[in-house]
Amino acid sequence: MLPLGLYLHIPFCRSRCSYCDFNTYVGMENLHESYVRALCCEIRAAGQSPHLVHTGAGVPPRAATIFFGGGTPSILQPAQLGEAIHACRETFDLPDDAEITVECNPGTIDLAYLRALQAEGVNRLSFGAQSADPGELRMLGREHGFVDVIAAVKAARTAGFDNVSFDLIFGLPHQSLDSWRRTLNAALPLQPDHISLYALTVEHGTPLHDWVRRGEVPYPDPDAAADMYDLAEEMLGQAGYVHYEISNWCRPGRECAHNLIYWRNEPYLGFGPGAHSSSIRRRWWNIRRPADYIARIERSASVEMGSEDIDERTSRGETMMMGLRLLQEGVSYARFAQRHGVDIREVFGEQLRAGQAKGLLELLPDRARLTPRGRFLSNQVMMSFV
Amino acid sequence: MNQIRNFCIIAHVDHGKSTLADRLLEATGTVTVREMQAQLLDSMDIEREKGVTIKASAVRMLYKANDGQTYEMNLIDTPGHVDFGYEVSRALAACEGALLVVDASQGIEAQTLANLYLALDANLHIIPVINKIDLPHAQPDVVAKEIADLLGDDPDSVLRISAKEGIGIQDVLERIVKEVPAPKGDPDAPLQALIFDSHYDAYKGVVAYARLFNGRLTMKTRLRLAATGATFEPIEIGTFTPRMTITGELAAGEVGYIATGFKSVRECRVGDTLLDHNRPAEPLHGYKPAKPMVFAGIYPTVTEDYPALRDALEKLQLNDASLSFVPETSTALGFGFRVGFLGMFHMEIVKERLEREYDMDIVVTAPSVEYEAVLSNGEVIKVDRPSDMPSGDRLVEMREPWMKIQIFTPKEYVGPIMDLVTKRRGETLGMEYLDEQRLVMTYRLPLSEMIVDFYDRLKSVTRGYASLDYSFDSYRAGDLVKMDVLINGDPLDSMALITHRDEAQHKGIALTRKLKEVIPRQMFEVPIQAAIGSKIIARTTVSAMRKDVLAKCYGGDITRKRKLLEKQKEGKKRMKMLGSVEIPQEAFMAMLKLEE
Ligand SMILES: Nc1nc2c(ncn2[C@@H]2O[C@H](COP(=O)(O)OP(=O)(O)OP(=O)(O)O)[C@@H](O)[C@H]2O)c(=O)[nH]1
Ligand code: SF4
Ligand SMILES: [Mg+2]
Repeated sequence: MLPLGLYLHIPFCRSRCSYCDFNTYVGMENLHESYVRALCCEIRAAGQSPHLVHTGAGVPPRAATIFFGGGTPSILQPAQLGEAIHACRETFDLPDDAEITVECNPGTIDLAYLRALQAEGVNRLSFGAQSADPGELRMLGREHGFVDVIAAVKAARTAGFDNVSFDLIFGLPHQSLDSWRRTLNAALPLQPDHISLYALTVEHGTPLHDWVRRGEVPYPDPDAAADMYDLAEEMLGQAGYVHYEISNWCRPGRECAHNLIYWRNEPYLGFGPGAHSSSIRRRWWNIRRPADYIARIERSASVEMGSEDIDERTSRGETMMMGLRLLQEGVSYARFAQRHGVDIREVFGEQLRAGQAKGLLELLPDRARLTPRGRFLSNQVMMSFV
Repeated sequence: MNQIRNFCIIAHVDHGKSTLADRLLEATGTVTVREMQAQLLDSMDIEREKGVTIKASAVRMLYKANDGQTYEMNLIDTPGHVDFGYEVSRALAACEGALLVVDASQGIEAQTLANLYLALDANLHIIPVINKIDLPHAQPDVVAKEIADLLGDDPDSVLRISAKEGIGIQDVLERIVKEVPAPKGDPDAPLQALIFDSHYDAYKGVVAYARLFNGRLTMKTRLRLAATGATFEPIEIGTFTPRMTITGELAAGEVGYIATGFKSVRECRVGDTLLDHNRPAEPLHGYKPAKPMVFAGIYPTVTEDYPALRDALEKLQLNDASLSFVPETSTALGFGFRVGFLGMFHMEIVKERLEREYDMDIVVTAPSVEYEAVLSNGEVIKVDRPSDMPSGDRLVEMREPWMKIQIFTPKEYVGPIMDLVTKRRGETLGMEYLDEQRLVMTYRLPLSEMIVDFYDRLKSVTRGYASLDYSFDSYRAGDLVKMDVLINGDPLDSMALITHRDEAQHKGIALTRKLKEVIPRQMFEVPIQAAIGSKIIARTTVSAMRKDVLAKCYGGDITRKRKLLEKQKEGKKRMKMLGSVEIPQEAFMAMLKLEE
């Protein structure tokens, strides 16, 4: 079995952003301690999970990465995150230099905090920067300013982190191409090792969705978003970044190892409320509410909420859907054959040719990948494989 | 036979026919209180859901009257909606009397009159009944006077009841017994039975609803259908109580059913006469076949469903004698059917029944009326599909159907109604007061102007107070042109429409604009044009799609991502292709949804 990606969900935030539909909760500080205990419990129990026992008794399963996502992982104390890392190391066979990422709120951390993280073994930081424009940050409901991002990145460097990423959001209501350019121009001099640029999606159940529905905020213009994407492509390219995934750029060699596991449709385990796991043939996910989660773990009850068996046909489709997100690597024919035991051209020949004919897919001798045009229209291609 | 009473209940829509039928079923003990449910005779799902009767239903009740005698009462509940006047007229032919129900709070409405005239034409004895006297704003005296004026009766003789509260039901039954004539006819004469309705049963085949005028019918009688010549022996004979109950025989004067075993409407048509094969009599006067007023294409969403759709339409026709259809093809939609309907409500019902009862996934095109084209060789052809309209020198004249319409309304809405009707090329024929408050406005109006949300607009400008009746008037020549719709340069035949020349430009602009809204962006720019002949009169463009991407990776929630794509793919599959352009189903109905 391939080494696992380990995802640890921290379902707490200090305040709720207007666009966010993640499984996260505000005002549950009282749960932090018991939550960390429960999380560690779930991790340790996974060593015995029936879905993973390929290794044989006494041999821990191999893992490759740890990713603390949220929510806001940096709402916890470094020592608490450290406990969870420790639980992972005890349960899984994890290389010393494994990538360990923590998502951080740039407004609430300082040098001391980051140093402590470093000491716990964290080696990659991801900051939710989102925008350099104060008005946009306000609309998004972010409590920090861009100065906080600058300070955070500086502190990260001082603390010795050489793998720093941040997220920006584009395609916002009212956002102009110029304002987007200003955000990029503010972000690039910070020389992050990795940048994620997400086109805003107006998700059901968010305040933003209500505003749009009531007409208080215009629905984001898809053409404007496309222009912004093109601009980012150009500016980041000039700054030396590789566009390696639809929404992700990095300095050469600094791809996010954890996310590559998803995109390559490889196995991963998610811990914490609402987290998803995949053992290739089966995918399952946890109950969503932290209090229920903790209570169940304390009772040694299962926290699994649902699951899906992934048959071979579905799995092939997912390999395409996820793999094509990798813009350089794409889906390798050899890897596909190895993984699924069939020639990709046999099962997907028609779809590949159709995608090529539409100018959305590029068929190289050894792999298929999206064309530059296909990147922002990727659903049009991916749809044909599922 | 002296103990038989055949009657139907007629009224304007929602005046309470089916509710009165409920009470009669209860009062006669036909249905126990425990079995009772509101509007019991509305047995189709769609009827129950919409609270509207669509199909007439017959039921036999036994009633012990005050005179000590027991009577066989055959009741037929009829629909009130204007589209189903044909259904009413068929029911009338099976009866000697009719209960004319009028809502005490609304008074005489359009179908009250229309159905009353049908009943008088059929020589039925009319018993007027004012219903809903329990309503706080009921005006039984005013309504009684209206009715008395209409029938030349005494206002005091008009029954006053509440079907809902069960007030006055006994009186209704007594009046029926006393006033509705017993059927005439000779049970020993050769058989003559009129088929006034039918439904289809998977085991028993076509089940014919018949009224026997002469003779009798047993399981041994070899039967013949007068018009089609088909012969058969009954599989089952019985009456509706209201469930189908086997009696094994029926005699002159009675109403019941005969299961024929036939699998299609070709052998056994509504309106035909059942005869004894060995003692054939003259056929009865049937009905004029229903005349469809609006036509639309119905296509399967996926082409493979074509045979299933044909099957479904055939089966539906067995339950709905007014439905007609022939095969047609379309550039974007492939193989389907041109279906004729009695009106827009009928069309909506057929569409829903196909979807729900027959589980069909269908596309319905915008409806058209039936035009007449006079050709240069003197021939007159019918055109019920706009793309078939002849052009050039071959065409001498186009004619379109005009209707005579009557609008019943409180007087304060006269202005808005006049506005609405004139905007739609209507001509005033007259205006007449019913009482101080209400009047009837009579117009002539092109049918094509009526099928595009006229009824909804009328309801909305009169806040629901107006009612409408219409009947065919005549074909009249008009300056009519065919407007083609071109998508990405290709004409889309199912979207072509025939319109008055003066409105072409305006309609072209509205239609192309609407299409731009409903046609999703494609991988390339798609021009949409409206044209008359080779002249483009309106155009818009659906610009190319530039963004269709799932941005964020939700911590491993790949299932959600895949589901989103699957849903999108599902939607795409339902699209119709014109060349390489994907056209959603609602585009074919865009014509009905234009801004005024
Ligand atoms: N208050 C009151 N409501 C009644 C009475 N009779 C019927 N209704 C209501 O009027 C509505 C229409 O009743 P139906 O019996 O379905 O009317 P209908 O004439 O059969 O209607 P169609 O078959 O659609 O033409 C229902 O909501 C009934 O509950 C009555 O005596 N009093
Ligand atoms: S910080 Fe992140 S997880 Fe928390 S509310 Fe904002 S967007 Fe959602
Ligand atoms: Mg009814």
